[in-house]
Amino acid sequence: MSTIRANSPAAYWLAAPAALWMLAAVVVPTLLLVWVSFWGGRAFSTASPLTFDNYLRFFSNQAYLGLVAATFGQALLLMAITGTLGYCIAYFMTMKVSNARWRTALFLAFIIPFWTSTLIRAIAWVPFLGVNGVINQALIGLGLTTKPVEAFLYSMTGVTMAQVSLYTMLAAGPVVYMLTSIQPALREAAMTLKATPFTVWRRITFPLTLPGVVIGQVLVFLNVMSDFATVATIGGNKHALLGNLVLNFYEGSQIRFAAVVAVLLMVCMLAGVALALRVVDIRKLGT
Amino acid sequence: MPDGTLLQARPAARRKAQRFGHKFRSRLTGWVLGTVTLLFLLYQWLPIFTLGLLSFSGPTGGTTFPMNGVSLHWYRELWDASIMNDFKPPLGRSFVLALACSATTVVLSVMAAQAVRGRFRGNGLFFYLLLLGIMAPGILVGFGFALLMRLLGVDPAWDSTAFVLHVTYTLPFGFLTMLAVFNRFDSRLEEAALTLGASRWTTFRRVTLPIVLPGVIGAGLFGFSLSYDEYPRSLFTTGADLTLPLAVMAQLDRQLTPELYAIGTATTVFSFVAIGIFTFAFWAMRQSLRGRQP
Amino acid sequence: MPDGSVTISQLDLELRRIRKRYGSFTAVDDVSLQVGKGQFVCLLGPSGCGKTTTLRCIAGLEEPDDGDILIGGKEVTGDPPWKRDIAMMFQDFALFPHMTVAKQVGFGLEMLGKPKAEIAKRVAEVLKAFEITSLAERKPASLSGGQKQRVALARAMITEPRILLLDEPIGALDYSLRETVMLELKMLQQRSGISFIWVTHDQNEAFSLGDLVVVMNHAKIEQQGTPEEILARPRTPFVAGFVQGNNVFHGEAGTAAGGVLRVACPVGEFLVPLADLPAPAPGAAVSFSVRAERIADRPDPTLPNRVTARCTAVEFFGAVRRHILELADGEVLKYDQFGALAPRILPGQTVDLGWRAEDSVLHDAVLQG
Repeated sequence: MSTIRANSPAAYWLAAPAALWMLAAVVVPTLLLVWVSFWGGRAFSTASPLTFDNYLRFFSNQAYLGLVAATFGQALLLMAITGTLGYCIAYFMTMKVSNARWRTALFLAFIIPFWTSTLIRAIAWVPFLGVNGVINQALIGLGLTTKPVEAFLYSMTGVTMAQVSLYTMLAAGPVVYMLTSIQPALREAAMTLKATPFTVWRRITFPLTLPGVVIGQVLVFLNVMSDFATVATIGGNKHALLGNLVLNFYEGSQIRFAAVVAVLLMVCMLAGVALALRVVDIRKLGT
Repeated sequence: MPDGTLLQARPAARRKAQRFGHKFRSRLTGWVLGTVTLLFLLYQWLPIFTLGLLSFSGPTGGTTFPMNGVSLHWYRELWDASIMNDFKPPLGRSFVLALACSATTVVLSVMAAQAVRGRFRGNGLFFYLLLLGIMAPGILVGFGFALLMRLLGVDPAWDSTAFVLHVTYTLPFGFLTMLAVFNRFDSRLEEAALTLGASRWTTFRRVTLPIVLPGVIGAGLFGFSLSYDEYPRSLFTTGADLTLPLAVMAQLDRQLTPELYAIGTATTVFSFVAIGIFTFAFWAMRQSLRGRQP
Repeated sequence: MPDGSVTISQLDLELRRIRKRYGSFTAVDDVSLQVGKGQFVCLLGPSGCGKTTTLRCIAGLEEPDDGDILIGGKEVTGDPPWKRDIAMMFQDFALFPHMTVAKQVGFGLEMLGKPKAEIAKRVAEVLKAFEITSLAERKPASLSGGQKQRVALARAMITEPRILLLDEPIGALDYSLRETVMLELKMLQQRSGISFIWVTHDQNEAFSLGDLVVVMNHAKIEQQGTPEEILARPRTPFVAGFVQGNNVFHGEAGTAAGGVLRVACPVGEFLVPLADLPAPAPGAAVSFSVRAERIADRPDPTLPNRVTARCTAVEFFGAVRRHILELADGEVLKYDQFGALAPRILPGQTVDLGWRAEDSVLHDAVLQG
C-alpha cells in the first residue's frame, strides 16, 4: 500500500502529461526526420514523392563516407580515453580516499564544471590551443620546442583535448555509482579465498562495475557522435563530424539532405545503444 | 607459553618487510591513480581559470597571454554593448526560460515518478520514452522539431518552441532523480499515515512530499541548469531573439575578443551562484527534516 | 585457558595480546587466545564488544596495532588475507552476485591455481556433499537464505583451510532453520577436523556449539572456558548477567571462614563459597551470582541464604515457570520453578525464597577492575 495503488487509473493520468510531451516533441519529430529524408522533389511539402535518391547521393560521395568513419573514429577514441581515465578517477575517489572530507572535496572539484555551460568550457580551451596559446607558450618556455606547434587550435587534436575534459565525467559518474554499491564484504571474501588485490579487481570489482562502464561508454559515445559545438568552436570550419554536416546542410537549406545525415546519425547511435543494452540492463541502475 | 612458538615465529625484520610488500603495492596504486586524478582535475580546471584570468586583461589585451595589464575594460564593454553584441537581453531570456523549465520539470517529474510507483501497465515503455529525451541528441531532436513546427506553420521563438524542447531534455533528468529518491523512500511511512485515516492525497502532501523534497529540489536544479546552458536544442527552435548560449556562439563566429571571456566568466560565476543557492536550499531542507525527527 | 597440557604442534591459532584502536576507540584490547587442533570456538558478546574485529584480525582484514597472530604455529601478523591458511564465512554470506554457484564454489581452488579438471571434479563432490548440486548453474539472487548459507559454506570449505572463521553465520537465517543448520555445522566441523571460530551474540548458539566459549565485553575477554564452566562458574558480574538465568548480587565482603565468605547486601547477608579465589579483604566490594533454577521457594528454614520478594510476572518456557520478582531494594530476582505439581506463585504474591551456600558463585574481584 502506498499513496498510489498498483494499476490505478490515477497512474495513467499522472503519466499522461510527461508521455504526451515526449511523444509530441521527441518521437514525432524523430519520425518526421525519417520521413523527410525520403522526400523527393524540391518543395518542402508533405505531398513530396518518396524516393531513395537522397540516400543514394549520400552514399555515392566518398567524402561523406569518410566523415561517417571519422565520426566513429572520434567516438571510439574518446571512449577509450575517457573510459580509462574515468575508471581510474572513479576508483581512486571511491576506493583509495578514505577521508570523507577529502572525498567530498574531490567529488565536487570533479563534478562542478559539469554544471556549467559546455559551450563556455569549450571556448575556454581556445586561449590554450592557439599558435600563441598557453600550451605553446609553455612548451617554448620549457625549451621543449623553439617553433610554436600548430597542431592544437583548428585541429582534431585540439577538439579531442577539449572533449576529454568535457566528457570524462560522463564516463566516470556511472562507475562511481556502481563502485559505491559494491559491498566491501565481497572483496574481502575474495581475499580470504586467496585472491590477490589485482585478481580481486579483475574477477570481482570490475565485473560488478561493468554496467557502469557500459553506461558511461554509451553516454560518451552519444555525446561525441552528436557533438558539433566543440568541433565548431575549436576545430573552426576546417573540420567537421556528422553533426556539423547536418548543420551545414540545414543552413544551406538542403533540408532533405540534412535529414538523411540525421537519420544515419540516429541509426549509428541506436546501433551503439542496442549493443550496449545487450550487455547491461539500464533499468537496474535506478534500483 | 610453550617455547616452541618462539622458534617458529619469524624475525621481526622479515615480518616488517612482508608487511611493507603488499601495503607498498596498494599504496603505489593509490599514488598512481591519485596523480592521474589530480592531473585530470588540473586539466579540467585550468582552462576555466585561464578564461577567468584573461577576462580581466587590459584594453589592448588579446585572446591569449600576455594580458597587457589588468582591468575591467572587457566587462565595461560588455555592459555598454551596442545592440549587435548586447548580452543583457539574451541573459534575461535564458534566465526566464530556465526558471520555466525548472518549474515544469519539477511538476512533471514528480507526477511521472509517482505514476511509475503505481506500476501501471506499460510503465516500462514509459520509462524508456522518458529516457529517450536524454539519449536522443539535441541536434536531431532540435532539427526534427524545427521541421515539425515548419509543417505546422508555427514560428520558432525562445518562449514557445524552445521551451517545449528544453523540457524534453530536463524532464528525464528530473524524472530519474525522483525515481532514485522514491526507490530509497520507505513507503511504510505512507502506510502508517493511511492507516491513521489520511486520504491518499493528504498523505502524499503531508508525508511523502516533505520527505522527498530534497530530491524535488535536485530535479529543479537539473531543470534550471540544463536549460540555462542548452545550445543544440535552442539552435533550431529559438528564432530571432537569441538565448545566451546562442548569443555567445554568434559572437564567437563574428570575432573572438576577451569580451567573450568576460561573458563566459560571468555566466560561469552565475551558474556557481545558482548551484550554491540550490545546494543551500537542499542542505537547509535536510536539516529541517532531521530536526523534526524525534 | 583450555588445557595446560596443549603443546605448540597442536595449536591451530594463537593470539598474543592483540590490540586494535580506531582513533580514540579501542575495539580490541589485550586479547589472548589459544585454539587447539580442530576446536570449535565461539566468540560471544554483545554488539560492539570487539568479537568481529578480533575475527577480522585473524583473517588479516584488519591489522592489529599490537600483538602477534600465529596460525598453525606460523607468525602471520603482517600477512595479507590471501597468504593465510584460513577461510571466512561472512554475515550476509557475501556471495559474488555475478557468479554461478559452481563458479563461486570453485573460486578458492581457482585462486590456488589448480587445473580446471581437478576444480570441476572437486566442485562436483563438494556440491554433492552439501546437497546443492541442483543449484550449480544458479546465481545467488535466485537462492533462498538456507541455500545461500550452504553455498557460502561450500565456498569456504572447499580449500580445506586450517581455520574457518564464521561471522554470525546463521544470523541471517529464519529461526526455524537455525537448529538444523547448527547441528549440521557441528557435525561437519567434527568430521572435517577444521577449527571453527564462530562469532555470535546468541548464547544458545555459543553454548550448544562451542568446545570453547570466549565471552567478550568492551574490547576485552571477560571469561573463556567450556560452556559448562561458564554456565556453572561465571567469573565476572558481566558474564553472570549476560548468561541467561543468573541473578547477580552486589555487596560488601565480610569475614571468611572454612572457605565460605559472608557477603553483606542491601537485602540481607549471604554465604558464598570462595572456591579457588583468595578471600577478599573485609569491606571490599564483591559480587556473586546464583542461577534462577537453584533457588527454592518456601525454603527449608535451615537454608543460609534467604530473601523475601514480591512476584511481578510469570513467564512459561515449556516445563519451566520463570518468575520475575522484586526484592526489597527494588532489584529484580529471577526464579525458575519446575514441575507441574509445584504450588503456584501468582503475580502480586510475596514469597520467601532461599538457596544453599554452594549454589552461589563468587566473582573474581581482580577481573572487575
